[in-house]
Amino acid sequence: MAEDSDWVVESIAEYLGSPAWVVPLTDFMENKCTVFDDEDENKLTYTEIHQQYKELVEKLLENYMQEVGINEEQLLEACTSPLAKSKALQNVFQPVLATEDFEVFKSLMVQKNVELQLQALRVIQERNGTLPECLTDGADMISELEQQELRILKEVLKRSKEEYEQDMARRQLSEDEGGSTSNSSTERMAFDSTERQDTVPGQASEKRAESTPSVCNASRMAEEKNIKSAGKAGDNMKHGTNKVGTQPTAKLLPGRSGADAKLLAPVRAPVRGSEPAADPREKSSTEAAEAWLEEARREAGISRPFTELSAAQQEQLQQRAHYLRQQRDRLLAMKREQRDKLSTSEESPVALAPRTVEISEEEKRQLQKRKHLAEKLKEEVIKKS
Amino acid sequence: MGEVQKGLFSVIQKLKGSTEQELRIVLLGLDNAGKTTLLKKLASEDVNTITPTQGFNIKSVASNGMKLNVWDIGGQRKIRPFWKKYLENTDLLIYVIDSADKKRFEETGQELSELIEEENLKGVPVLIFANKQDLVSAAPASEIAEGLNLHTYRDREWQIQACSALSGEGVQDGMNWICNNIVNKKK
Repeated sequence: MAEDSDWVVESIAEYLGSPAWVVPLTDFMENKCTVFDDEDENKLTYTEIHQQYKELVEKLLENYMQEVGINEEQLLEACTSPLAKSKALQNVFQPVLATEDFEVFKSLMVQKNVELQLQALRVIQERNGTLPECLTDGADMISELEQQELRILKEVLKRSKEEYEQDMARRQLSEDEGGSTSNSSTERMAFDSTERQDTVPGQASEKRAESTPSVCNASRMAEEKNIKSAGKAGDNMKHGTNKVGTQPTAKLLPGRSGADAKLLAPVRAPVRGSEPAADPREKSSTEAAEAWLEEARREAGISRPFTELSAAQQEQLQQRAHYLRQQRDRLLAMKREQRDKLSTSEESPVALAPRTVEISEEEKRQLQKRKHLAEKLKEEVIKKS
Repeated sequence: MGEVQKGLFSVIQKLKGSTEQELRIVLLGLDNAGKTTLLKKLASEDVNTITPTQGFNIKSVASNGMKLNVWDIGGQRKIRPFWKKYLENTDLLIYVIDSADKKRFEETGQELSELIEEENLKGVPVLIFANKQDLVSAAPASEIAEGLNLHTYRDREWQIQACSALSGEGVQDGMNWICNNIVNKKK
């Protein structure tokens, strides 16, 4: 009896390692994993994909059982045997468990997504032969800057939630100004005029977001009065409104511009807050805006809330994500091709890759950024799991 | 669903190899009723940063030696058609109502009565949380029970529990009811 079930378990385990099982399953996962991210909230499409996965696994298992001549009872018996519960086999059976356990399924898909992302990056790197040392340098600088930005952002968001945004903005500015009172008073003016254009102060979140361009004007007004400090304020706003680099005074304070850009945060911060007091019509449009941002952020493939990034960063991230996705698609096609000629080809993905690309300095820099993005993604996913 | 599939499901269930029993709970209700807040409260997580759910959330909560797998699905009108995809093998329905949103009592009653008719929820016990009792304008649970015609439910166990998911008040009472009436019976 025991031997009987052992045979069945071993046979199934063997099947779960064979191409007849692995190829269609991997194919499915690679094709469907793109939408899976590490967010706590699940998308409705996950359920649909999970359902398709169940159907695939059931079809495969049924076919196999029929082929080998195992019936339901034998399978049941086998699966309750000690052998099937051994640690080594539990792993093998995980893709089967994933049919009944959504959490297992989700983690498999998220993992696959990250794997693919990294593979795509490696292929890019190998094909283009980017320099590792410059990669590390770039990554360090960026991450340091971003960490600083994040820290500031968190602070800003926290305070704005307590509805001390006005107060906070003033303090932050004067801090950045090194306590110069004359400068900060001009800044305050800039912010006050922002407030006035908002019709009702502290009223609607997206109204504030809309008012960003006028903020820009306000700072320009201030600029005429006090070139030095307003130049900085203008710098802030320009960052927010995606006009980075057009302001000459931005060069006056290199290295601070990143942090300063974050000062825009109070303006958009309430978007996330979505006060319960807001009337329903307004709320729904806030929700819509949020949903849109959320989607865009997922497209960009980063786990940090999209709304916490500046507009310039947002666009940049989207561009990177787009490029990455293209690479991934190429990789997917390659993988499929490889599987098709499974028995004959031993070539590495790099060898199969088209070698037509001539890269410029600009592209190299972009590559660095992309690599960094994926590394961050990987880090976050791995840390969490 | 064919015979074979049913067999496969039970096989896979056994593969999980868990000794503890599991309960599948679905958390439904209109948007802004407080489902996600309740879910996070159950899981002892922060309830201050909740945004409208576009998809669904899952949390596993241990209770009386049982594992409660709670599925919270977004309640916005455009998501409601998806509810029925999550009802299979459900052991308990928790329906959350915003007790202060009197304008939508009729709507929430309509959604509940449609749910109750679902084949997959036949005979499945219902726990109704009359949420947001922390608001002064909240209607008492008894009034809501009457409005929902709960007393006409004959084919299933039901309970209405006043609560505030935000403060946590009443939530444990509801969970106790689950343990006393559902968990013990399933064992």
